[in-house]
Formats: sequence, C-alpha cells, structure tokens
Amino acid sequence: MISPAFWWQAIKLALSQIRANIGRSLLTALGIIVGVASVTTVIAALDGLKDRVLTEFETFGANRLLIFPDRPDGYPRNLYPWKDVRLKVEEIDAIAQHCPSVRVVTPITSLKTAVQHGERILEGISVTGIRPAWHETENRSILEGRPFNSIDEEEARQVCLLNDDAIRELGLPADPTGEHIIIGARRYLVVGTVETIQSMMLGINTSSAEIFIPFAMAARLKDDDFFFRATAMIRSPELAAEAESEVRFVLRKMRGLDGDEPDTFEVAAIDQFIDQFKALAAGITAIAGGIVGISLLVGGIGIMNIMLVSVSERTREIGLRKAVGATPSAVLMQFLLEAVVLCLVGGAVGVLIGEILAIGLTFIPDAGLDQAHVPLWAIIMSFSFSAAVGVIFGMFPAIKASRLDPIEALRHE
Amino acid sequence: MLISLRDITKIYRVGIDTVHALRGVDLDIGENELVAIMGSSGSGKSTLMNVLGCLDRPTDGTYLLKDRRTDRMGAVELAHVRNELIGFVFQSFELLPRATALANVELPSLYARGERRRDRRKRAREVLDRVGLGDRMDHRPNQLSGGQKQRVAIARSLLNRPAILLADEPTGNLDSTTTADILRLFRALHREGQTVIIVTHEDEVAAHCERVIRLHDGRIASDLPISEDPAGRLLEEVAEITESGS
Repeated sequence: MISPAFWWQAIKLALSQIRANIGRSLLTALGIIVGVASVTTVIAALDGLKDRVLTEFETFGANRLLIFPDRPDGYPRNLYPWKDVRLKVEEIDAIAQHCPSVRVVTPITSLKTAVQHGERILEGISVTGIRPAWHETENRSILEGRPFNSIDEEEARQVCLLNDDAIRELGLPADPTGEHIIIGARRYLVVGTVETIQSMMLGINTSSAEIFIPFAMAARLKDDDFFFRATAMIRSPELAAEAESEVRFVLRKMRGLDGDEPDTFEVAAIDQFIDQFKALAAGITAIAGGIVGISLLVGGIGIMNIMLVSVSERTREIGLRKAVGATPSAVLMQFLLEAVVLCLVGGAVGVLIGEILAIGLTFIPDAGLDQAHVPLWAIIMSFSFSAAVGVIFGMFPAIKASRLDPIEALRHE
Repeated sequence: MLISLRDITKIYRVGIDTVHALRGVDLDIGENELVAIMGSSGSGKSTLMNVLGCLDRPTDGTYLLKDRRTDRMGAVELAHVRNELIGFVFQSFELLPRATALANVELPSLYARGERRRDRRKRAREVLDRVGLGDRMDHRPNQLSGGQKQRVAIARSLLNRPAILLADEPTGNLDSTTTADILRLFRALHREGQTVIIVTHEDEVAAHCERVIRLHDGRIASDLPISEDPAGRLLEEVAEITESGS
C-alpha cells in the first residue's frame, strides 16, 4: 500500500528531526541509553565470567566424578548422622575394583597444620592427603623430583610434594628435593614439587602454600572417623552417566541401603556444576533484565512525551500531509517510525557505551572479568527491545497524529 | 460536469449551539473554468472550499466529483481523492521547512497509488520548471521569497495532475507585485486547461477570474460571469497587468 519512497522519506525525516533537536533527542533517549548500556555491560560481565569459569572447568577436566558424603535432604537428622555417612577407605577401594568405567579413584583429605623447616614454623598450612591416582585425576605436572608412587602409599612413607608458595614460605631452595620438613611432629622427605594452578572455583584448589602427603599418612594425622572426599577419573567423558551409576551402585551396596532408602552420599560429574553455574548466570541475567525493563519503561515514557510534543509542534505539517493525500495509516506510520528511529539511535548509543564499559571491566585487576565482551545476541536483543519500546510508546502519539482533522490541523497556530 | 453539488448543507455543533455553515448549495463547475468563490467571514466560503477539496464531508446533499460520489466516502478514500484529483494552495504556503523545494514538490507522490508513483522526480522537476523555479530546486523555504514559496506550493499542487486546483486566499500573504505574478501564473495554467478555483475576499483577486460565486449566510447569493459581477469593474486594470506582464 505505502510506497518504498514513503519509507525512505519517513526515515530521512525522522533522522533530520533528531538532528535538528539533537540535545532534546538525546535527553529523551537517555532512559533507553542507560537501560541498554547497563544491560549490555551486565551481560558482557556475566558472559566473560562464564567463559572464564568454563575454561577453568575444562582444565579441571570434564571426565571427573566428585564423590563426597552427604546427608539426604528431608530426613530426620538422627536417622543419618554425619558420623555414619562419611566415606570409608574400603569404599574407595571397592570403587577402584568394581567400577569398570572408572579408571582411577583417589581419596582426598585436607587439614591445616603447623609445618616446620629449620627454625621456621608456619601455622595453618594446607596439607592434603592423596593417593598416587591423584596425579591422573588432577592436571598438575611435577616440576622437580618425582610424583607419588604406590609404595609411598602402601608403606605409608613420610614423603611430601610442595608447590612453589610452600617452598618460598618455608625458605627452601628452588629445587627442594632431598630436604626435610616437619609436619605434625614427623619428618618428611621432599620428593618433588607440584605446579600451582590458579583456581578460585569450588574451593578445590587454593593458590597459597600447598603440601601433599600420602593419604595413608594423612589418615594418621586425623582421628579414626575423619571425613574425606574422593575424585574419580572416568575412562572417557561419554561414560560419565555410566560411571556415576556404577559408583552409586557400589556405595549403596557397601552401605547396605535398601531400595527405598535415599543415597547417603553424592556423586557429581563436573558438568553438573557447569549446569548449576549456568542456571545461576541465567538467574542473574533475568534479574538484570528486570531492572533494565524498568529503565526501558521510564525511557519509553520519555519517548512518548517527546513524541506528543512533536505531534503538537507539527500539527500544521500533519494537516498539510493529510491535505495532499496522506491516509491516517500513513501519518501513523510516519510518527511510529520516528519513535522507533529515536529509540534505535538511543539503543545504538547505549550499545556503544556498554561496549566501552565492557572493555573497561577487563582492566579491573583481580575481578576475573578479563574475558568480558558484549556478545552479538546481546546487541541484537538491545536493538529489538529499543525498537519494541519505540513501537509501544510511540503508538499513542502516532494514533493521535493520525486522527487529527486536516482542517483543524491546518488552522492550528 | 467536473463538479456537481446538490443541496449541500453543513451543520456544525459548537458546544450547545448549532451553526448552519451551508444551507443548501447547488453548484456546477465545468472543466477548465477559472472560478472565484467570494464572501465575507462567516459566509460559509471556507466550509464550501473544505467540502469541494474533500477535506470535509457535507452533513447532507450529494457531491459528484468527476462522476464519483464523494459525500459518503470514508477518510481513507477521501485521502486518495485529495491525492489524485485535488491540488491545494494555501495562504501561508505550508512548505516543510527542512525540505528542499524539490522534496516539497515531491511530497504528494509519497502518498500516491500505482502509476502516479513513477517518475516522480522527473515530474517534480517539470512542474518546478513550469512555475519558473527550475534554478531553485535545491533551495530550502527560508532561502526563498514569499512569491517563490507560493510557486513551490503551486508546483506541489500540480504534481499529480489534479482535476481541480483549489487555492485558499493564495495571495493573502504577498505584496501587490508578487500577487500579480501569482495571479498571472493561475491564468496561464487556466489557459493550459487547468480548472482553478480561488477562494478570496478581495475583488482585485476575483477580477482575474472568469466566473464569480458570492456566498452569503450559507447560500449562494450570486453566480455571475466576471463581466456582470461588481468585481468586473476592475477588468481594465487586470488587462493592464496582464499586458505589462506578457
């Protein structure tokens, strides 16, 4: 119905209106600008965080199972006391023997204790008890010396591995193999050094001083019924579900759980954590979206206001257009398009500011946002929302313009 | 007959009052006439012009424009009729201030249907040339004199080859020299076959027309050739102007 020339002219006219009233237009579009800029920045930050977390999970390994004691939800506390749900070394051995999809499994227990080297005593150092299988489940290379072997574990040898922070804090030489340190009143031989992996997620690794000793030795440092968790390595990532059910089966059998009793432990593949994180990120995005919705609403009211002003300022123009043959729908389209163009310009400025803020985020030290970037879908979404605001809030002024009586409009002062 | 009005009445409601703007107007205007519609304010001449220009619908009566009944048309149909059959010229020009002369002239083609869309730029240049503004096409209204502005408006009214050129006090904002120029242009267009209706309250303007319709109190008071109308006594003067211009 309406000619292509009409659309072209209407867009040109809308842009010339914005240019002619540049200050007023920008002030009007401020709500849209702020809304779009904030949503793109939040999305950029979340996306960057997500990328970083996923990379971290990847280095951490997709084919790993975490096994830890867990009291079932919704049951009386005295039915499943913590003492009874804790893992036992025999259970770990059973998993290692009877789960074909599990390649290796290692119990892991952490404690904080005093460590001494020469005159230097450090309190509260993280000491972790591990089996040699740990070297396979963790992706951490041995920089000096050797890793643990099965003899270390079976004979409960007093040997240890250190990371660079521990070496530095204890004042050991750069290659500390052959040195001795005292952990809990026993003398340990340093057999090697372990690479430090920067990771803040899930509290699995810390970047500060770390000392590793054979699990059998760690058990002696603790009470008889101490808690520990375990990490299993799956033969291949596709076997994750199978490995999980095998572990579940073995543990239930060992614990003598009947069919209607709940699990007293948790077996989790790493992708479950990824899912959890994604759900969390989606939640934050939704909240941010809600806040942005409010600012777009405010912005939209501003647009409606300025469009009403524009319609009243240009009443004579509307009258003339009607006199030369503009149908009500043509007038409606012209003003609707003008509101949409105004919103899109606001959206473009908002995206630009959001992009600059996102770049700014990557320079904040230690914020973990160095991978922050505005994804394409966020830009497309920003423009779609801006256009929608233009249509919704431009509708009332446009209808008002389209219904003007040409005679009255031409007589308007 | 190009225009045929039968028993046209128009009643406005203003608050609790009813105003009878037209009280039964019968009027025929043929192809290629040059008509002046005259009357004092409140005589109904503006209402008649609005009805003739399809800007307004009569309360009662029939209006045939090129054998089409327009008195019962809806807003959309009336918009198309205005676009295709009527060219308006207004007292205060009504040009878009930020558009060039050419863009202003092209305006009606934006709302045109079918073939009228084609060659709009070429046609716009033609009509601008016709009104003598071929060298001012890229000027904006604030760079043009009053007479030039009105020429742009006339070019705009001619763009879609209208059946009627309807001018409402076209010289009301112009000085006497420019007025004479514009009236000469209307006469020239009339000689080329254009039907022109000028609404005015000035005898000097009406004197340039061939037929003068005088309205009083919503009725046609007189409808005479210029030679028999009181405005006709200015005819000699008109002849002088026309001669000096040609």
